[in-house]
Amino acid sequence: MQRSAQASAVSKSAGEPEAASDPNRQRRRERLLQIGTLVLLLAVWEFAARDANKLLVAVPSDIAVATWELLLNGELLSATLDSMSTFVLGFVIASIIGIVVGFAMGTNRTVEVILDPYINALYAMPLVALIPILMLWVGIGFLAKITIIILFAVFPVIINTVTGVKNVDRHYLDIGKAFMASRFMVYRQIIAPYALPYVASGLRIALGRGIIAMIVAEFLTSISGLGGLIINYTNAFETAKAFAPVLVVALLANALTVLVQKVEERFGRWRRR
Amino acid sequence: MPKLSVRNLTKRFPVSGGPSMTALDGVDLDVEEGEFIAFVGPSGCGKTTLLRIIQGLETATSGEIRIDGKPVTGPGHDRGFVFQQYGLLPWLTAAQNIGFALEAKGIPAARHGETTERVLATVGLKGFGDRFPHQLSGGMQQRVGIARALAIEPEIMLLDEPFGALDALTREILQNEMLGLTERMGKTILFVTHSVDEAVCLADRVVVMSPRPGRIREIVPIDIPRPRASLGEALRDTPEYVAKRHQLWTQLMDLV
Ligand SMILES: Nc1ncnc2c1ncn2[C@@H]1O[C@H](COP(=O)(O)OP(=O)(O)O)[C@@H](O)[C@H]1O
Ligand SMILES: [Mg+2]
Repeated sequence: MQRSAQASAVSKSAGEPEAASDPNRQRRRERLLQIGTLVLLLAVWEFAARDANKLLVAVPSDIAVATWELLLNGELLSATLDSMSTFVLGFVIASIIGIVVGFAMGTNRTVEVILDPYINALYAMPLVALIPILMLWVGIGFLAKITIIILFAVFPVIINTVTGVKNVDRHYLDIGKAFMASRFMVYRQIIAPYALPYVASGLRIALGRGIIAMIVAEFLTSISGLGGLIINYTNAFETAKAFAPVLVVALLANALTVLVQKVEERFGRWRRR
Repeated sequence: MPKLSVRNLTKRFPVSGGPSMTALDGVDLDVEEGEFIAFVGPSGCGKTTLLRIIQGLETATSGEIRIDGKPVTGPGHDRGFVFQQYGLLPWLTAAQNIGFALEAKGIPAARHGETTERVLATVGLKGFGDRFPHQLSGGMQQRVGIARALAIEPEIMLLDEPFGALDALTREILQNEMLGLTERMGKTILFVTHSVDEAVCLADRVVVMSPRPGRIREIVPIDIPRPRASLGEALRDTPEYVAKRHQLWTQLMDLV
């Protein structure tokens, strides 16, 4: 008797749908709230700007139509590919340089002492100021854009990698020492995994700065890619069309951030959830 | 010739803006092959420091360590260390942690699997090789640490309070396993503990240390015949156990 009561209590609590879906329902309510606010915002924008000068202000419906047009004629896609290929190459090079230099600085005091002041100074300064001079040296083409992206993206990677490498817990280094691991083993199996979360957050910062660099480079050097579209359509007072590439940049930046997070999670499986 | 001999070992740590701190002062000890030595003493008396110097993780200020008569200058595969805490690399599975030590010793990867399985089975963790440390209990993590030290087949095992952070029950279970393990293998073992009970159960001789500066106060032989593992709980009722436990307890009380 007592036993069956117990069993039913267990099965009830295990299969109780109300309790289990509660956080889900909560999340759905919150999502709905966000979507509702967005719709409201767009509606207010649409109606408030209805009577404004079309040359200066675009309303959401016009932007949607313009985006559709640019998608159909392929302009948006080719600009996105143009921007992204440059960005990805620049970001990858910046990541590799950042990790290698950061590792060298973090493990070798001499290298750190020599490079540290420059890296901190360059990280802190508004690098945009360097762009005109840079254009004198590397022109306004592909090379200029890559250089600008690397310049913007590389320092957070270096700084975070150095921090991670230097912070390695002494207990873990002792394991390597006690079992006589080679220097390479210590780098690969102790220092690198320990520094990984630091590197990943450096990469996230670098991503944001790299995208800014890409757009700025497209504004200032050869007008091309998504930044070029923004400039050209703004200059032509086709404001609605200028919004389409802005939208794409926003989406890309967010998607890439999520991608970096996923990669980080994949490599951080060993951490306590 | 003793397996291990420690001669007049002194270790001073520099202290910023003050006189240096003497962690060990003139420590002398001979350990015979196959002997199990336990170190007890109040915290700060230099037990960890002594073990770390013997392992080569730390260098002595003066004095000498010899193994089989040859001076020790650094870490070696002839010694296997078990850490008190943070002894496993959290991003490697249990098997990979053991593989790390095997790779460091230069054992080809093809032979890692077999050795890893054997040592995991020895410490009662058959089938747990692909768990990450955070998926194992504290006691299981320490077993992995012991398995890793066993894997490199050292001549001397050094264990620094390996069960210190565990709950009483787990601790007692591991003590009994340790007893069986060491009596089967007959390795030379240096074992730091803060438990008098653990020391008397396991050791052939208990080294009592005193702090400030760290010195050997007394060396107490434990004449409970081996194998003790088969005695089970009866071990703790033998007159020798009761007497030695009392003697050590009194001595330690005088020190703190
Ligand atoms: N790296 C270090 N730097 C400075 N002092 C240390 C260091 N390691 C240990 N000590 C000091 O040496 C003494 C002995 O420490 P330890 O060997 O850890 O003692 P035990 O393991 O017996 O508790 C302590 O007073 C401790 O503070
Ligand atoms: Mg200690």
